[in-house]
Amino acid sequence: MDPVQNRLLQELLAACGRKDQGAFARLYQDTSSKLFGVALRILKREDWAEEVLQDCYVSIWNHAANYSAGMSAPMTWMTSIVRNRCLDWLRRPNLEVALDPLGEDSEDPLERIPSDDPGPLDRLAHLNDAKALAECLGRLEAKQRQAITLAFFDGLSHSELASHMRQPLGTVKTWVRRGLERLRGCLGTT
Amino acid sequence: MKYRDKPELQEKLAAEFVLGTLRGRARLRFQTWLRNDARLRGIVSEWERRLAPLAAGVDEVRPPQRVWRSIESRIADGGSARPRGGFWESTAFWRGWGLVATGCAAALVAALALQQPQRIEVPVVQTVETPAQVAMQPAYVAILYAKEEGEKLVFMAYAARKSNELWVRRVDLQKPPTGRDYELWGIPSKPGERPQSLGMIPAAAKATLKLPGAADETLENFSVLVISIEPIGGSKTGSPSGQVVAKGDCFKFW
Repeated sequence: MDPVQNRLLQELLAACGRKDQGAFARLYQDTSSKLFGVALRILKREDWAEEVLQDCYVSIWNHAANYSAGMSAPMTWMTSIVRNRCLDWLRRPNLEVALDPLGEDSEDPLERIPSDDPGPLDRLAHLNDAKALAECLGRLEAKQRQAITLAFFDGLSHSELASHMRQPLGTVKTWVRRGLERLRGCLGTT
Repeated sequence: MKYRDKPELQEKLAAEFVLGTLRGRARLRFQTWLRNDARLRGIVSEWERRLAPLAAGVDEVRPPQRVWRSIESRIADGGSARPRGGFWESTAFWRGWGLVATGCAAALVAALALQQPQRIEVPVVQTVETPAQVAMQPAYVAILYAKEEGEKLVFMAYAARKSNELWVRRVDLQKPPTGRDYELWGIPSKPGERPQSLGMIPAAAKATLKLPGAADETLENFSVLVISIEPIGGSKTGSPSGQVVAKGDCFKFW
């Protein structure tokens, strides 16, 4: 996100904190497609993603006054709200059934996830503030990178990762943990 | 709390929380710690800052217009934040929520049942002859209010204590969205127990649902009843899967 856009979103959030509905409409217009994309990618169902998005924007409206620009960039703050809400959503009971509640698709829902989808990562390399992260991800072992990106983009849990990557649970947990440790080290030095 | 003395553990948990691999009870516990620990929140923010740029790589998808319309109407009436995600496990939440309405509901039922039993059409139980006895009949009663639209009374349910017939009355329940239906649920009093379906709500203003057993064995377990929007024929997940439109305490009336 470029600094100008960043600044604009900060101002819009500040105005939302003062209950300016026009600013909120503009904020929605500028950010909802990205956040809906994030929710849809994790939840895999439009109706769920729509509900989560609604709740998140109501929450953003209610808490905009608490947003502090010094704490995090606006998009980081809003993305975290959406991701957390999605992950809480996935924590509901009966998830195995709920992943495909309409019974339209009898295949394993995890099969729908592209296994080596380079899309999001490729795009990152061209975005300024994501370059460092893309570079650091590039330095991870392939399996570590795959586990971390599947968890982040698709909201997979350890056991889902294990089943998707056809590896023992312990192995996958280690990949995630080591990958995160290395990312932290790498990002600290770039 | 042991985690406080373990910076490496804090770092690992924060990272996995942000990444999303911290799940289930571990996630809930971590969220509790977060509420009370500013330092831990700082570590989480750091990880959000590190990983959030990943989201920039996700395809943008324009949400349907109805999403904005719905957000607009919700912030217009004070930004009612509907609880979401994981809250089905939290019967404490429902109990707390229902308490607010209990006082008025009890007063209302008392007024209706004692003063004008015929007008609320308390189901005619064969052994009951007079209005006074109708009012005395031990029963379970639930009064459900709209979750939005200013918490108006939308639905009532009544079952005599020994009966397995749940008498329901739609007071002011809008039609469900096209291709969807309303399902009635009992939210158990015991924490951790799943909501239980009490059946689909018939379109008629008044109807009777069959309970799986006598009310004092079935409704006895629920502190709250809710209505959710579900696919025709009912939720496929065994739990409420769509928006909750109404809720209210289920209480003994004797």
